[in-house]
This record gives sequence, structure tokens and C-alpha cells, in this order.
Amino acid sequence: MASTFVASTLLLGFFLLAVGIAIRSRRWRRGVAIDTRFFSRMWQLPKLYLVDVHDVVVSKPFVARMHACVAGGFIAVILLALVVHLGGWDVSAVNWVLLAMLGLMGTGAAMVLWRRIKKPNSLSGGGFSRLPYSLLAFVLGLTWLSLPSVGLIDAAPFYSWTNLLAAALFAWGVFELISGMSGGPMKHSLIGALHLIAHPRPERFNRQQGATALKRQDLEATKLGVETAQDLHWNRLLSFDACVQCGRCEEACPAFAAGQPLNPKKLVQDLVHASQLTPGDNRSFAGSAYPRKESFVGRGASHLPIIGDDAMIPDETLWACTTCRACVQECPMMIEHVDAVVDLRRFQVLEKGCMPSGSVKVIEAIRETDNRFEKTAQSRLDWAADLNLKRLSEVKSTEVLLWLGDAAFELRNQRTLRALVKLLNHAQVDFAVLGEEELDVGETARRLGDEATFSVLATRNIETLNRYTFSKIVTADPHAFHTLKNEYPDFGGEYRVAHHTTFLNELIECSRLEVSPLDEESQITYHDPCYLGRYNSEYVAPRALLDALSLNRVEMRRAQVKSRCCGGGGGAPFSDIDGERRIPDIRMADAEEVGAETVAVACPGCMMMLDGVVEPRPAVKDVAELLLEGVEKAEANQKERAN
Amino acid sequence: MSQYEALLEPLTIKHLTLRNRVMSTSHAPRYNTDGTPSERYIRYHEEKAKGGIGLTMCGGSSSVSLDSPADLWGQLSFASDDIIAPMLNFSDRIHAQGSKLMAQITHLGRRTRWDVAHWFPTISSSPNREPAHRTFPKEMEDWDIQRVIQDYAKAAIRCREGGLDGLEFLADSQIFSQFWCPTVNQRKDKYGGSLRDRMTFSLEVLEAVRKAVGDDFIVGLRVSADTLYEGSLSHEECVEAILTHAETGMLDFLNITAGTAFTERMLAETVCPGMAFPAAPFLYLPSTIKQETSLPVFHATRITDLATAARAIEEGHVDMVAMTRGHMADPHIVKKLTEGRADDIRQCVGAGYCISRIYVGGDALCIQNPATGREETMPHVIEKAQTRRKVVVIGGGPGGLEAARVSAERGHEVVLFEKESLCGGQINIMIKSPLREGMSGVTRWLYGQVEKLGVDIRLNTTATAEMVLAENPDVVIVATGGYPRTDIAKGSELAVSTWDILSGKVELGESILLYDDQAEDNGVTCAAYIAGRIADSGKVLEVVTPERRLATDVGESNYPIYLRELYKHDTVITPDQKLTEIYREEGKLVAVFKNGFSDREEEHVCDQVIIEHGTLPMDELYFELKPNSRNLGQVDLLSLTRAELELPPNNPQGEFDLIRVGDAVSSRNIHAAMYDALRICKEL
Repeated sequence: MASTFVASTLLLGFFLLAVGIAIRSRRWRRGVAIDTRFFSRMWQLPKLYLVDVHDVVVSKPFVARMHACVAGGFIAVILLALVVHLGGWDVSAVNWVLLAMLGLMGTGAAMVLWRRIKKPNSLSGGGFSRLPYSLLAFVLGLTWLSLPSVGLIDAAPFYSWTNLLAAALFAWGVFELISGMSGGPMKHSLIGALHLIAHPRPERFNRQQGATALKRQDLEATKLGVETAQDLHWNRLLSFDACVQCGRCEEACPAFAAGQPLNPKKLVQDLVHASQLTPGDNRSFAGSAYPRKESFVGRGASHLPIIGDDAMIPDETLWACTTCRACVQECPMMIEHVDAVVDLRRFQVLEKGCMPSGSVKVIEAIRETDNRFEKTAQSRLDWAADLNLKRLSEVKSTEVLLWLGDAAFELRNQRTLRALVKLLNHAQVDFAVLGEEELDVGETARRLGDEATFSVLATRNIETLNRYTFSKIVTADPHAFHTLKNEYPDFGGEYRVAHHTTFLNELIECSRLEVSPLDEESQITYHDPCYLGRYNSEYVAPRALLDALSLNRVEMRRAQVKSRCCGGGGGAPFSDIDGERRIPDIRMADAEEVGAETVAVACPGCMMMLDGVVEPRPAVKDVAELLLEGVEKAEANQKERAN
Repeated sequence: MSQYEALLEPLTIKHLTLRNRVMSTSHAPRYNTDGTPSERYIRYHEEKAKGGIGLTMCGGSSSVSLDSPADLWGQLSFASDDIIAPMLNFSDRIHAQGSKLMAQITHLGRRTRWDVAHWFPTISSSPNREPAHRTFPKEMEDWDIQRVIQDYAKAAIRCREGGLDGLEFLADSQIFSQFWCPTVNQRKDKYGGSLRDRMTFSLEVLEAVRKAVGDDFIVGLRVSADTLYEGSLSHEECVEAILTHAETGMLDFLNITAGTAFTERMLAETVCPGMAFPAAPFLYLPSTIKQETSLPVFHATRITDLATAARAIEEGHVDMVAMTRGHMADPHIVKKLTEGRADDIRQCVGAGYCISRIYVGGDALCIQNPATGREETMPHVIEKAQTRRKVVVIGGGPGGLEAARVSAERGHEVVLFEKESLCGGQINIMIKSPLREGMSGVTRWLYGQVEKLGVDIRLNTTATAEMVLAENPDVVIVATGGYPRTDIAKGSELAVSTWDILSGKVELGESILLYDDQAEDNGVTCAAYIAGRIADSGKVLEVVTPERRLATDVGESNYPIYLRELYKHDTVITPDQKLTEIYREEGKLVAVFKNGFSDREEEHVCDQVIIEHGTLPMDELYFELKPNSRNLGQVDLLSLTRAELELPPNNPQGEFDLIRVGDAVSSRNIHAAMYDALRICKEL
């Protein structure tokens, strides 16, 4: 009797799941059709879980073990229960294994409960608060029902109150954990698996070049960007539904930390709410609100605009994002928040002409002057008037093209560029610049959603670059680096591009630059720029350079892949959305926390943000500036020896 | 972005690109002895180039001819080929730093002396006396004119061969304007007559030079746009002269000045106005010229701060802004600006010390930067010491502040004791005179630096030997300064000091007699202060000096300003009288003087006698500390001449090194106190 009950409850659970998924899928089907090669990608699923998801989850060991116990135990228990109760292989040995798996799952469930008791703010409440009890109910119920089969207790009549209680607990568990995969807190499991198979960026899993590049917007399309949920591809609607609301993105988000009205977790949940079939609100969300927008209630449906102060997501939320990618990197379900933000911005900018006034100014400056600083093209080389830089228009071909970026218009970053030029001269690198022919790379415009301006700049820059011969581009600006390397190929510009730290490290490795240790006793920390680290996985070269100088290097708590953004990306400094604190202040506090007296940076944006923090604070220097000190010291030592 | 970024835009003149808009104009700091650039001179300019300047112009009033001697202010001489090789070295070194180098070439005409160098007579357009040097020139003959024109052309070629980026002619007061000026030039030939005719000579020089150097060499004209001098060219005539030369198409830039250097008063009021004048007083003149011509316009004259400099460029008054004295105070202006350290720039206060020294026979030195002109031995950037020591400085005047600053830059732990509530020492007294108010800038910068460097500054603290020893110092610098000395004649206890007057401690009497035998700025500026205070009050002031003239050691850039103030208020100035006695009679004071030449005595009756006789050192603490010191206060002078520091181990049991600086040693000036401090503390 018990066996029949278990088998039929499971079957009913699965049946209800099938119905639930069919209903849920109506939302996804509102999205734009796209061939995801779903069936040919299915076989990759175990690898996606065991490698890609695992890599993310493992950074929190307790949670990773918890999930392994619960999920591993649960899958094993379901399979074994089907074998025993539906397949009829009801032998003691199999039941022992089943009990062991229940034990494993029960341990995991206890951990889930413990985590709920110690609940961090970033975890959602609501249905998720029920989950540990559902898990325990399932485990206890099935355990009780399975005990007689191994002879630990005598079989009692199924209608005994203990068995009935156990059956009820088990049934609760089944409906929550199996049927609930189509809607409740367990939604992330099955939908997560579907999403991983149909992931909108499969290139991410192979770590291909360009896996972090924005997708090109077809400027001939009838609608530009994303206005409603229906403008998204179906697999992206599916991806938002996979969110387990674990809050890792919320913990990582610099805008959220600064009290700006952005919470990536809520953003994703709002996108889920925005895909509902009939108009409704988002009040069922039981996590942290957008800071400073606590009383805002989002309303919408899949055919209604997502952004707006009377829509699902408030306007300011959209512009607070620095595109730092910390949320994407942290997400165990591999959801692509930044793509969503940029697509939503594209509609605002390209169709509605709406953006914060500061960003309007910078876009206008870029459109009118081809740079963010409203300077003449000639003035890009003002800082280098005494350096006799070779222009590519004169020499036509060069080994290295030094891409200056708009940092060339900014006093502090001009010092970095001067240091870099000196280093290249020291190493006798054959290099040249475009000078007045160089235009803004277009990155800011693109992140702000102005694909049209980006596309014009990219096309014109590529036309210029293609006129000349060079073997690689070197730049001190990670944003230019990322754009030239990963985003220009879509526009027909394929180049070898190196960030200056990578290139300088090569020069050191092949002994073209000789450095003397600086022997500073004071501590130094390296701040990973988002577009060099998370976007392009270069963590080694800048550290190697600092180590070559024998500097007393310490790591901040948030470093490398988990580095905290300086606040300078995604046009955020121009949009300048109000918050409670400034992001660079928070980052500087990270450096002070580990006792750093110098923060080494490798990005003009980081330089501007961190150097702008009110003193007293650690000094901010570009890695190139520090390296030059070491090279000049080596040169001085050499001269001394010669004398 | 910087608020001063207008200064950082490069300027391209023909083929030449200047990296920014900041320059230093040609001047002659008297660092050269043989007409060629000395190592000292090159280092002086090189420091500015290291400091980021766009263009440094050298060779003020450099000679083109043998009868334009290069001796008076240590000028360069382009009158022979000897200049070419050293000039090549000079320009290479400036170019290595990314700056450009140009020179000024000129024939001084009558504006020099005949009794120097080759003892050739001075020459000019007509044989009229020159007021500043009191020479009576020979009227130039036809062959003199042709010779000088050819000399200019040859000098220009030497500039080019010496690797310079360009040259300029100096018109004002020198041979060009000696032809232009109708009261100087009374020739009847083609070089005299109407203004157009009087310009014939300079136009012929320009033509010859341009022909000699070709089109691809920068040639400019430094010229006054308004002589402001009766009998010389009016503003309209100056503009006509400038435009006539500009319109030849042979000039590449104009360097606009104001006034003239015909007399020492004009020099002080128009050529190098000091702290008595507002910032950029003549900016309107280059601005006028810039509206009339497309040539780049340069301009100097009391542009001492970045805000004024940037405004001059931004508002389009000039194309290049010259901060010549500004770079003596701080040769690293542009570097500090680009490094975001604009607050660290030591701003010229306009004390006029640099120029004054030239005219009293010395070399140009900055009152507040003892490293300027001493680049061979004194650093502008202080290097960190190997070992950290504890330095205690007593006294927060300029010497003490400089000692604290340099020691702190060396990385030492520094404690500074100052008994007053404000640092500045005697500067705080001298700035009570409106003509010296700007001196407060010296303290402001020093104090700002010392504070920023984290020196432990203890104000309102009169240091005692116990307090000093309690700090366990490795080095003690005594910079306690001095107190005014008045006990110089019988009965001098009846007199007060200039400090008493300036500080307001003593009210002014009805009939005031100030006796100044210090002969520098202190007495005469106190007199000027009194003269201003008593104006139209019925009170009278007499200033007496034992010297042949008042304030003999004050040079041309300040003397006229001080005297102008005294004469304006009917001050009686009596030279050659030595004070011998003061006594009281019928409620009045009688000051007895003895004439230095005749020995005849005379008595001056007044209510108040004020004495300026320098200071005596405040040295009690020094002598109290001396027995416990290792060196017993002695410094090896020979080591200082090598820019090193040796302290004789007179007392091996001593616990610390003890050194006295500034007026705590003997009555001198700000520069001496700061130089003492720098050369000692840079070695600690």
C-alpha cells in the first residue's frame, strides 16, 4: 500500500509538473523565436552543472555542500524511489541505499534550514522560507515509509496515524519539490536546466573570445532595443525564470552597495514579472528593494513597457548600472543581467531619446567632437607635444599602434600615458599613434545604449585602422581594449589587441625592460578593472609587474574575478544616479581595510574615480607609472655602476 | 580636467611646437662671466625645462656687437663664434627635457657703459645722454649703421648654429627704440625724421636677419606697446611701429612689454613691477596688439599665479604667458600643475630681490627659494634620507620653517617650536608696511608645506633647553632670529625701533626722525609706512642715513617705489649723517649727527627717534644647549662650500648636533636664513 502510494504520488507530482511547465512556457513563448539548437545542446548539461555552475557555486563552500547534499540526495532519492516503488525492486539493499540518500538529503535540508535561520539580507523570503520545511517533510515522510523495508521497524498498517502523517509529509514534499519546479522556489531546478541548455550566450561555456562582448543591435530593425518582455528572445525570458534568488548578485552589485536604486536580483525578478501574461504587480517579490525606491510598486505584463516610473522598473534603476558584470559573474544560474540592461537602455535611447541629462551631454559631446571631452581632434596629442610621437599617418606602418583613448584629454591620465610612452621608448618598441585620426572608441555610447553612435565610431575607426599596417594595438584603457578586441570584430575590424599591462609584462619577460626593485615597505594593492578582469580574464600580468618591482603587495577582500567596480563603467559617472554613498569611496575603503598606502590601477576610468576620492586616502598610481619608477631606477643604478 | 588647462595647450609657430603656453622671458641673472653660457646658467634653465616649461628664453640683452658689451649683467655675447659650441650643448640639454630655447639679441646702443670690456665708446642714433647709465654716446656713422646691421645678421646665424629654436630682438630702451624715439633720434639722414623714417634702421636689421637665417627659423620682436614716458613713443605710435614690423611678414611672434627702461623709476614701475602693483597690470597692452595682428603674442609682467596666467590665455589676451620671476620662485610650475599639485607651487611674491641684486652688482637670487641659481649644489626637490632622525627646530621664521620643511622632506621626524601664535618671525612685522605686505606669501607657502609634511608644529610655545632635550633630538636647529638693536649711540635708550612702530607698540610722534643705517629695505619701508600714515596730518618725518644715499643696498626694482612714497609725503631725506647722541631737552628729543665727510656736528630736534640698525641674535637658548651638543654648535665652513655638511666632533659625549641659522647667527635677510637652513638640512 505504502509503495503504491509513493509511486502514485510521484507520478501525480510529475504529471502536475508537466502541466505546470506547459502553463509557464506560455510566458516564454511570448518572447521572440530563436533557434537555440536545444536538442543538440542537451547532452552538455552535466558538464554545464559540474564545471560552469560548480565553478561559481564553489566560491561559497557551505552553500556548495548544502546544494550538493540536497540536490544530489534528491535526485538519487527520486530515482531510487522510482526503482523501488514503481519498478518493484523492493529489496533491502536498495532500500538501504535509498535511506542513505535520504540521510544525505536530510543533512542538506538541515543546512538549508540553518541558512534560513541565519538568513542574510540578500536571500529572499516568501516561498523560499518554506523550502527547508518542504525538504524535511519529504525526507522524514519517505524515511518513515521506507524504514519497514529494511526491518528497522515493523510494518504497520498504512492507515495507522504515523504512516498517514508520513504520507502527508511525503506528499507535501513531492508537490513542493517536484510539481513546484514549474513555479515555486524549486523553479530554478528544472527551468534552470532548460535555461542552461538554451543559454543565450553558449559561447560563455567554452570561454571563447567575445563571450563578454555586447551583441550587435540591428539598426534597421522595426523596433530598436527592448521595450516589453515580448521584445526579448524566448530563451532570455526563460533565463530570468531560472533565478533562484540566492542574492549573490545583490551582494556583488556596487550600485546596490552605494545605495543607488539598483538590485540585480530584483531587476531579474522584475523582468520575470514583466513577462506575466496579464497585467499585475511585482509585490510577491520578497527580497531587498531597490534602494531609495522602497515604496515603488512595479506593474506590467509581457506586452507593456518595462521601464518607467509607472511601469515595472523605475527609470533610475536602468541608469545606475556600471556594467561591471559582477552580478553576471556571481550568478550560479549564469543569467546575463548586463545584456538586459543594455537592451533596455537601447530602446530608451534609440526609440524614446530618453536618458539622464549628464549622459545626454556626454553623448552629444561624442557625436559632435568624436570624444567625451568636447575637444578638437588635434588636441588628443596636446599632452605629448614634447614627446615626438610618430603618427601612423606619417609612418604608415608600425609594430605597435598605441591606442590613446579619451584618457589623452585628461590631466591625471596623461601622466599614465607619458609613463607608458617612456616605457615603450626604453624598450625600444617601434610604435606609433593615430593622433588626430583617433576617435572615441565608442564604448561609453554603446554601454549607454546608443548603438547608433557606437556603430558610426566603430565603422570610422575601423576605416582608419584598416588604412595602416601594424601587428598589434596596445592600450592603457581596458574599455578600449575590450571594445577593439571583442566588439569591433562584429563591425569588420579584427585586430590583435593587448592591454598595456600584458604588453609590458611581455617586455619584462623577454628582458626588453630591466627593472630594479623599488623596495617600498609600504603596502600596495592592485585594483582589478572590470573590463580587464571579469571581461577579459587578465589578472596575472598587472600583478606580475608589481611583483617584479618587489612591492609589498596585498590583496583586497574583493579581488580578481570578485573585484569591486570603481563606479566608472557603463556611463554611470555621467548618468550620476543619486545614492547614499559613492562607489569609489566604498572601493577606497576596501583598500584601506587591508592597510594599503597605494592603490595600483590599470584603467583611466578607475584612476579618475579613485583619484577623485577625498583625501586623506591611499595614493593612486597606474601600474605603468610604478613600473617606470623601477625602470628609471634600474637605469640610474646602471649609470652608477658604469661610473 | 584642470581649471588651468588653457595653459597646457601646445602652441605651434611655423614648424615649432611649444608643449604648453608657459614660458620665461630673456633676462640676465649675472651667472655668466665670459659671454658664453656657464654651467650654472645652463642648470638654471635646465631646471625650468625639467619643471615642464614650454619655452625658456635665455640671454637677456645678449650682444650682437663688440661695442655692446656683455659685461654689465653677465649677458651672452653673440658677437663672436665662441658662443656656438657652448650654445649647442645648452640647447641640447634643454631639448632633452622637451622644452624649447630661444635667445634675445640686441645692441644696447647708449644703454650701457663705455668703461667696461673693450672700452669702446657707446653709440646711438644721436649723441644724447642716457639717463640710466649716464653715458654720452657717439652718433652712429653710416658705416656704424651698416656694421651693426651686419652684426645682427651674424649673431642671428650664430643663434641658429647654436641649436636655438629662435631669437627675438629687444626694442625697448636699446638701439631699436633709440632710433624710434624722437627725443633720442635727431638724425637728418634717412634714419631720422618721421616715425616711418626712424624705423628704417630696425626694418633693415629685420630684413638682414631674416635673409641670414631663412624662413624656417623663428624670429620675434620684444617691444613696448606703450612707453608711458614723456618724450618717447605714445601708445598709438608704438602700435604703428609694431604693426609696421609685423606686416613685413618677417616676424613670427611679438613679445609685448609696457613702459620703458630709460630710467630706473620706469624700470621699477613698468618693466618689473613688484609687490606694490596688482597682478598682470599691463595685460591690456598685449591684448590690444593681439586684436591687430595674427602673430602669436607673448607677454610677461607680474603674472605670478596660475589663475591669472590661465585667464590671460583663456580670454585670448595672449598666446604665451611668461612667468619669469614666477619660475625663479618655483621652476616646476607646469610639472606641479600637471601632477595635480598646483597647491604646492611656490608663488613669486614680487619682492624684487632677484632684479634688485642685479643692479647692485650681485647675481639674481630668489628671496624665498635659495636653490634657484644654485642648481649645481642646491636641490629643488629634496631627496629622502637613508635614516630617519629626530630634528627639533626652534623658531618659525623663514629660516626655521625652511629647516623644518627640508628636514621633513628628508623624511625626518620634525618638531617646530614657535613662541608666537603665528609662524613668520620678522616677516610678520615687515608686512605691516603696505609696500611689503606681499612678503606674507613667503610664510604662507612655507607654513603650508610644513603642515602638509606632518611637522609637529607647537605654536605659542617658548622652547626651553629642558623641552628641547625632552624630545631626545638627533639634531637641533636654532632659528630663534634676532631682536632689533638700538643701542648704537649715547642716549639711544630714548629711541625706539622700527619694530616698535610697525607692530603698533609705539604711537607715532609729531615730529619723527628715522635713522637708518641698515641700508636695506627695512628702514626705508618703515619710513614709507610712516610717511603714508602721517600724510596730511601735520606731522613731519625726516629720514637720516650715514650713507651717501638712503637705502644704498636696495636695487632698482624697489628703490624708486620706496622713494616715490617718501617724496609724495614731503619726507626730508638727509644723507651722510652719523648718529652720535640723543638727549632730551624741554620735552623734545635732540638727535646729534656728525657729517661723515666734514665731521661737522648738527642737532635735529624732534619728538621721536626711530632707529633701524638690524638685529642682534636671540641666542640664549643656543648657548644653553651648546655644552650638551656633539659639535658645540660649530659647522665646518669648507664642507658647506662643497655643499656638504661636516660637524666637528668637538664634544664626543654630546647627545645631539646643534646648528644655528639665520638672524640667530647675525643680522641678515630672509634669503640668507633660508639658504642656511637649506644647505644644512638637505645634508641631515
